[in-house]
Amino acid sequence: MRLRTPIQGSRLARRPSESGAFALVAPAIALLIGFLVIPFLLAIGLSLTNQRLVSPLPLRYVGLDNYERILADPRFWHALANNVTFAVIVPTAQTVLGLGLALMVNQQLRGISIFRTIYFAPVVMVLAVVSVVWRLLFAQSGMINAGIGAVTGGSFQPNWLHDPTLAFPAVMIMSIWQNVGFPMILLLAGLQAIPGELYEAARVDGANGRQIFVHITLPGLRNTLIFVLTISMITSFQLFDQPYVMTGGGPQDATTTLMLLMVQVGFAEQRIGQASAIAFVFFVLVLALAVIARRFGPRMTEES
Amino acid sequence: MRRLSRLCVVLTLLAIAGCSGGPSSPTTGSPCDGKVDGQVTITAWYHGSTTSAADVTGAEMAKQVDEFNKSQTSVTVNLVGQAEADYGTTVKAASASGGLPDLLDFDGPNLYNYAWSKDLVPLDSCINPQVRADLTTPNVDQGTYAGKLYGVGYYEGSMGMFARRSVLEKNGIRIPTGPKDAWTADEFTAALQKLQTAGFAHPLDLKMNYGIGEWYTFGFSPVIQSAGADLIDRSTYQTATGTLNSDAAVKALTTVQSWFKAGYVDPNDDDAAFVTGRTPISWVGPWVYLAYSKKVGDDLALVPLPDFGHGMKTGNGGWMWGITKEAKDPDAVAAYINWMLSPERALQWPDSGGQGSPVKSVAGQSKLYGPGGALNLITQCLDGGYTVTRPQTPAYPTITSQFANAFKAITDGADVKQTLTSAASAIDRDIEDNDGYPVPQS
Amino acid sequence: MAMGRSRRRIWALAVRYGLLLVVAAVFVVPLLVMFVGSVKPDLDVLAESNSLKAFRPSQIENNYADAFATSQFGRLLVNSLIVSGSVVVLGTFVNSMAGYALAWVPFKGRRLLLGVVVALVIVPFQAVAIPLLLIASKVQIVDTYVIQILPFIASPFFIYLFYSFFLGLPRELFEASRIDGAGVVRAYTSIALPLIKPAIATSAILSFLAIWGGLFWPVMVTRSVEVRPVTVGLSQVAGTLPTHWGDIMAMSVAISAPILIVFLVFQPAFIRSIASSGLKG
Repeated sequence: MRLRTPIQGSRLARRPSESGAFALVAPAIALLIGFLVIPFLLAIGLSLTNQRLVSPLPLRYVGLDNYERILADPRFWHALANNVTFAVIVPTAQTVLGLGLALMVNQQLRGISIFRTIYFAPVVMVLAVVSVVWRLLFAQSGMINAGIGAVTGGSFQPNWLHDPTLAFPAVMIMSIWQNVGFPMILLLAGLQAIPGELYEAARVDGANGRQIFVHITLPGLRNTLIFVLTISMITSFQLFDQPYVMTGGGPQDATTTLMLLMVQVGFAEQRIGQASAIAFVFFVLVLALAVIARRFGPRMTEES
Repeated sequence: MRRLSRLCVVLTLLAIAGCSGGPSSPTTGSPCDGKVDGQVTITAWYHGSTTSAADVTGAEMAKQVDEFNKSQTSVTVNLVGQAEADYGTTVKAASASGGLPDLLDFDGPNLYNYAWSKDLVPLDSCINPQVRADLTTPNVDQGTYAGKLYGVGYYEGSMGMFARRSVLEKNGIRIPTGPKDAWTADEFTAALQKLQTAGFAHPLDLKMNYGIGEWYTFGFSPVIQSAGADLIDRSTYQTATGTLNSDAAVKALTTVQSWFKAGYVDPNDDDAAFVTGRTPISWVGPWVYLAYSKKVGDDLALVPLPDFGHGMKTGNGGWMWGITKEAKDPDAVAAYINWMLSPERALQWPDSGGQGSPVKSVAGQSKLYGPGGALNLITQCLDGGYTVTRPQTPAYPTITSQFANAFKAITDGADVKQTLTSAASAIDRDIEDNDGYPVPQS
Repeated sequence: MAMGRSRRRIWALAVRYGLLLVVAAVFVVPLLVMFVGSVKPDLDVLAESNSLKAFRPSQIENNYADAFATSQFGRLLVNSLIVSGSVVVLGTFVNSMAGYALAWVPFKGRRLLLGVVVALVIVPFQAVAIPLLLIASKVQIVDTYVIQILPFIASPFFIYLFYSFFLGLPRELFEASRIDGAGVVRAYTSIALPLIKPAIATSAILSFLAIWGGLFWPVMVTRSVEVRPVTVGLSQVAGTLPTHWGDIMAMSVAISAPILIVFLVFQPAFIRSIASSGLKG
């Protein structure tokens, strides 16, 4: 060890560390400012104008008109409700199912790594591809209905992606299918990190399987579970790709989300000002949620 | 304070967004001077694939471009295929950020918006007068905005219903022979019921698989037009309320909705409802003719759309070419357009693509569209004034998006009156937001 | 007694494998439908999708040739590799450097920067897409590789991932190097980088998948076949009417196969690294 006295050392190091730190963070800061912060501030600015995608008319300051309009637009509330539904159901389902899968592939069985690989495979698939394939499976005369028909005798044969009540559940099912391998892998690692002695001690004390799961496994996975839920909620809130490719937001806006609505308003309807207002409202909502979660929810790590 | 901040906002945004349209060509005077400046390579976009046998129109266009490039030495056309599903977005993004091609391929009714936004330049000084005089009336109608020609269609589209003659005959359903004796809506509904009873679970194909987009407007706005309503009040082009949601429109679309409720309409997920024999009737345009006739042969009949009370109506128009503001040498682009619309080229479209002819001189020569031809009904509709050009207004992108979404919602079971009323008010609000789309001074 | 026990054990084993297999079917069937569909005639793909024929083509057709011709697939594949590869390589450095500095190098404004990074995690890309497009047109980088690469290099999400991973490493490592007088940058390259291989693998994999599968941004900024990615090609094939399901499935396989193969080859390392980086969160 080449340690010197700590006090002297840290004092000496302070100055070079400042410039070194700058060198390390500068590229990230520059790129974030150029490609995220400035465009985002611009979007906020545009949200106060009547900016159109392409228009010969002059740009006008319109105050909070765009905000008043989106708040009065039923599509906005519908999209928001979908976002919330998705962000509650999908991360929860993914975490619960992911835990189930993790327990399954944590068994000491020959060939278990093959199953691990299979369960994880959809994660590496391109979303546009997966959406196309599931569109085929969800078709009225498709495989899913054939499966349901085989079980129920053909009484329930919905046209999934064209049925306003079933289209969004269909999108959620596909999303869960595609991503559940990810929490599975994280939770598997969590399971394997729980010391074996804990289980042995519990067994010696005569605990049954359920008790072991509740009192040892779950507490041992606490941090991983929170991590998995947080990550998957953040990505869930930004839901865009799946409905964009599978349903385009329809039928009757049943699968629309705030991001999809924003793109629709901005491109199909060419109202950049209004689309920007949606972007900003979205940001404020998620930020508020994050702050609330930080204040009242469980901590992700001790440091933060 | 408030004023100051307002000023700041506007100034910053002007700097970024105000002149975001890419390099605009100097459009003082006319864009064309009649001569190509030396050797020019122009870029042309096509809405689909130009290298796939699957895309008949694209393959035909690629073939013609190739011939053109070989036929002379001064102009070379570089044809680029773009994904059709995202074509509108691609064009708008290019218009907003620069990068439009010299020659733009676009779906006809977008012309008024593109011309209003100055994405396109007027063609009056570019198109050869002989070619111009030869354009069909619907073609000129669709291509004209504010008294100037901004685009020319390279084929003439329309619609009807393809049917299996033997199935109709077997079920005692009358086969109309021309636009005058089209089925009434009630007659058509009764025919569908008969076919369903005869064992066709979903006897009607409306090409619902084309999805929300131009097809829903092109294909089904004739329904309300035939009922005496329209997409917008064409006397002023300022409001849709009272027209789009009029009682006539509501009644007609309620009839269409009843077809869905009764299960007459095949979802057609495989795009093969008609060729596999699942549905004996397919409501679609002539672009499917070649595929259909290959499968069905002589049993294929083309009948007019149903009459909803005010005479049969069907659509016209189709994809067009225009010269964009970014064209380096509009004369070079015009050279290509003039060549493609010469009678011998124009004849290629009906015979290899199934679409109607864009020019008068060859309309009668086509085997399909001429007297006695399999698609002659469409010629009768076009010549007899049974076709309705889609609204000639820069508000069209909003109109079509609102109508297509409303139509889809109605077919999914939404309240007809309410859906049309909210679509109409969305259209009205868009027009208001754009100060009524004033004709630009040039 | 002994026999009954071993029989019960066999049964238990059978149940376990049975359950594993049923769940495996749920994940495999859609992929199988895609692979088999890619060699079927267009009409058969949907028509046979509701029976066991979905897994056994009654007629073989090579859809690959047409799908590739439609989109000039070879070119698109190269484009996708260049764009995704650049983002992964550059992003790994930029984000891990920032994460390292935020975790272990004291400097003024560190807390503020960390707060900003966390807040930026929730800005969705779509929200900045339109202003970004306008800026890109100003500096004339539309329809290039650059505009497909630059916006995605620095990522608040991955910076945060690296940051929390670094925090999980023992403090002494970095104190030692600092006191040692080794430059901060050298400490990063010689000590930090080798220790965070799992985090690097995770960020590399996730960002590669995100860029490789991205469709929205390429549609807005690419206009020519020289720069556009495979996903736009898929959209081109999928959008051609009538729907050529066989071609679509062939294209889907062609897009997925490279990743699936890489995944299968590196599978153990792949899963291990994702797992271990997640734990540090």
